[in-house]
Amino acid sequence: MKLLKLNLSGVRGIVGQTITPELVIDFASAFGTMLPAGTVLVGRDSRKSGLMVQEAAVAALLSTGHEVRNLGICPTPVIQFLVRQHRAVGAISITAGHNPAEWNALNFINSQGTYLNEFQGSELLDIYHLGRFAHQKLKKSPAVINELNPEEVYFSWLSHKLRTEEIARARFKVVVDPCNGAGAGLVNKFFQALGCELVAVNNEPSGYFPHDPEPRPRNAGEVASLVRATGASLGFLLNSDASRVSLVTETGETLSEEYTLPVVAGYYLQQQPGPVITSLSTSRMIEAVAEKYGVPVIRTRVGQSALIQVMLQEDGALAGEGSGGVALRNFQPAFDGFAVMGLVLEAMAVQQKKLSELVKAIPRYHIVKDKIVCPPHRLHSLVAETRKLYPRAEVNSLDGLHVTLKEAWVHIRASSTEPLIRVIAESPSAARAQLEVDKVVAFLNRLLG
Amino acid sequence: MKKRLPLKVSVSGVRGIIGESLTPQIAARFASAFGTYLGPGQVLIGQDTRPSGTMLKKAVLSGLLATGCQPVEVGVLPIPTILFLTHEKQARGAVVVTASHNPPEWNGLKFIGPEGLYLRRSQVEEFLDIFHQGEFTFVAAERIKSPLQEKNAGELHLEKILSRLKVRAIRSRGFRVVADCANGAGATLLPQLLRELGCETLLINTDLSGQFAHQSEPVPENLGELCRRVKEFRADLGLAQDADADRLALVDEKGRALGEDLTLALAVAHVLGKKRGPVAVNLSASMAIDDLAARYRVPVIRTRIGEINVVEAMLDEGAVIGGEGNGGVIWPEIHPCRDSLTAAGLVLEMLAESQKPLSVLAAEFNKYHLLKDKMDCPAELAFRAVVELRRRYQSEKISTLDGLKISWPDSWVHLRPSNTEPIIRLLAESRSAVRSRRLIERFKKEIKSIIRKLV
Repeated sequence: MKLLKLNLSGVRGIVGQTITPELVIDFASAFGTMLPAGTVLVGRDSRKSGLMVQEAAVAALLSTGHEVRNLGICPTPVIQFLVRQHRAVGAISITAGHNPAEWNALNFINSQGTYLNEFQGSELLDIYHLGRFAHQKLKKSPAVINELNPEEVYFSWLSHKLRTEEIARARFKVVVDPCNGAGAGLVNKFFQALGCELVAVNNEPSGYFPHDPEPRPRNAGEVASLVRATGASLGFLLNSDASRVSLVTETGETLSEEYTLPVVAGYYLQQQPGPVITSLSTSRMIEAVAEKYGVPVIRTRVGQSALIQVMLQEDGALAGEGSGGVALRNFQPAFDGFAVMGLVLEAMAVQQKKLSELVKAIPRYHIVKDKIVCPPHRLHSLVAETRKLYPRAEVNSLDGLHVTLKEAWVHIRASSTEPLIRVIAESPSAARAQLEVDKVVAFLNRLLG
Repeated sequence: MKKRLPLKVSVSGVRGIIGESLTPQIAARFASAFGTYLGPGQVLIGQDTRPSGTMLKKAVLSGLLATGCQPVEVGVLPIPTILFLTHEKQARGAVVVTASHNPPEWNGLKFIGPEGLYLRRSQVEEFLDIFHQGEFTFVAAERIKSPLQEKNAGELHLEKILSRLKVRAIRSRGFRVVADCANGAGATLLPQLLRELGCETLLINTDLSGQFAHQSEPVPENLGELCRRVKEFRADLGLAQDADADRLALVDEKGRALGEDLTLALAVAHVLGKKRGPVAVNLSASMAIDDLAARYRVPVIRTRIGEINVVEAMLDEGAVIGGEGNGGVIWPEIHPCRDSLTAAGLVLEMLAESQKPLSVLAAEFNKYHLLKDKMDCPAELAFRAVVELRRRYQSEKISTLDGLKISWPDSWVHLRPSNTEPIIRLLAESRSAVRSRRLIERFKKEIKSIIRKLV
């Protein structure tokens, strides 16, 4: 089966099967057709297919008459920041984030530097499906400007946003694994500016992924043993476009990616109180943190696009989800792995606490995640079927099925990036969370035969 | 009725109008088909100076990368240089983003196969089958390569040309040359070649920004400025390239445009004077070639129209020189392709060795008058008209290799339905311009009356 997933803000698939030059050109032509005249930024993560996709996307944008600023290998949060800096009319980030190396994706970014909202996303799809693109006659060629070191202006902005001197004074030793993704190499500049001693692994933007580029405990073994071996203050894992982070404590404990949001919020809400935006699938740990600061938690659909839109509408202080992606209103409306790493260090420096101590302040829940491969055309109908499992419970169907039970919750939803049904349950008891997930998985497997 | 979009797919590649018919999608599809056809390996990619070149090049790069090829970007270079380099670097093939002499709103892709030769008709068919079937062999992500860039790759071509010319003899003459590069890719190398040959040069239309100062076919009506400059500069000759730099036309020291077919005649005369061997030209080339071959007692092979047909015949028959009457000189010592740089070198060597001015050398060949014309005719009728003419003239000396060519002792006419437009092309040559004109008019009339009977 060929996999191609369209979601609100982009198109994702396996290179050579569905991500082909022509598909990329069609989507980028649709994007160029939708945008007003002006400059469009294009950047990519380090995947080996990145240049193929980039050349196709740039050809399409030139064809629709747009000047292109080519950022090369560049983390998505840096691209999002530079959209506003350059007053660009939009950007394309070529990255499949946490997906394995054979995947790639186009992520479309608007002139505010955020992922397309649902209206822009559906307009893009309408133009794509209609297939009538505004190819120009090109009596003059629009320029392609190759930006060298596009991250410098971003890092200089970020170091002003952070309490750099206090972080530097703490003399942290940091282990980081950028998974040879877009953040590789750049972490040296970043942590040097923060006065940290750096131990980096998988730090070449080669596109060779030593493990899936997904920041989570399963992939954190190397970082954990380095933290212990070097006596580091903490460890970080990044996904392939440096938008998501997971943490490893100074004792070498590999924290679930669910911890990133509450750890950051526990410090950031002190400085910047306001509503917290998160998804239905994210751990209840954040409720405890929000309660401490007397701010509401607003739950919405899964995904950066939806979270950021609600954050902007509701004047949220921060938005984030259990994947390790967090956006901070005072920084930029984007999941930003560098800002998150900086704030974790700032929280430790300012409060003079170890990471394990910050984590201890957060009530412990057990979250269990599972997934079931499912034919794309049955995804949503099967999710709807699971409603039968909970005849009397309180449910929310904003995004799949979210069920609040006594001492537990379950979220069953169709992935927007892969042909999967995700099942997530959380409870103060690990056994209970597992039980809830197993129940749903068994039910779905029966339906799938 | 909906306007027909001008996208032309032919043996020489694909051409279309940017923003209308030739989109990045189509370019990527052709490149994907070409990469599938060639298989993974080095593929050169070059371009002419048109403003849409970068856009198309990027679309082509993505198609080549997706099919596992290793693209090598060589930038703006003459077509003959890219053909030469494809062979020299033992690349699988090359793609050139160019629309030759079409107006600036056009662009296109030319496909070059192994050994730096244009695809033969059978190869084009295989390649187009892949394109039309649309099943491309995209490789897995980890097998995708990164493009390489080669700067100054053209130097190799110049070195080869200079190694085959009597450079010292040419240099000693200190020729004064005006060169019109037609704002095409020739401007990247012709000035350097002339410098190496010790010429004092005046260069016009060498700007590569993609704006054409005049239509790029090197026919006399486009060479007004060059003729004027030759006189002002008191030059020994003027050189006019087309935008791809495969064709060359000459202006003599009196500022007269000599007509494209003269370039081939001079090159053939010069090369046969040094080395005897077969000559290959297409059906439409001047009788002057036959006279020269007779003088040196060597055979002339006449081929169908189209550069690759001449090249194939040259390779098969071991021809020492050949080409087309449109200023396309093929000297296999350098590379079997039409090459304005090579042609310029040969003409300068001939001037140096003969010690005669160009007007005198040309006078020998001006006894023939070759005229070209065309008439509107729907494609289907054009073929039937040619068939009828073939029947009527079967007792004459005829060739049906490509349309119909009828030859008399000192004249001929060649009638050829176009592959790409609903027209019939007519060429006639004789010893007087009036007679050539009369021949053309006579056959136009005859075709019209045949068509009237057919409909």
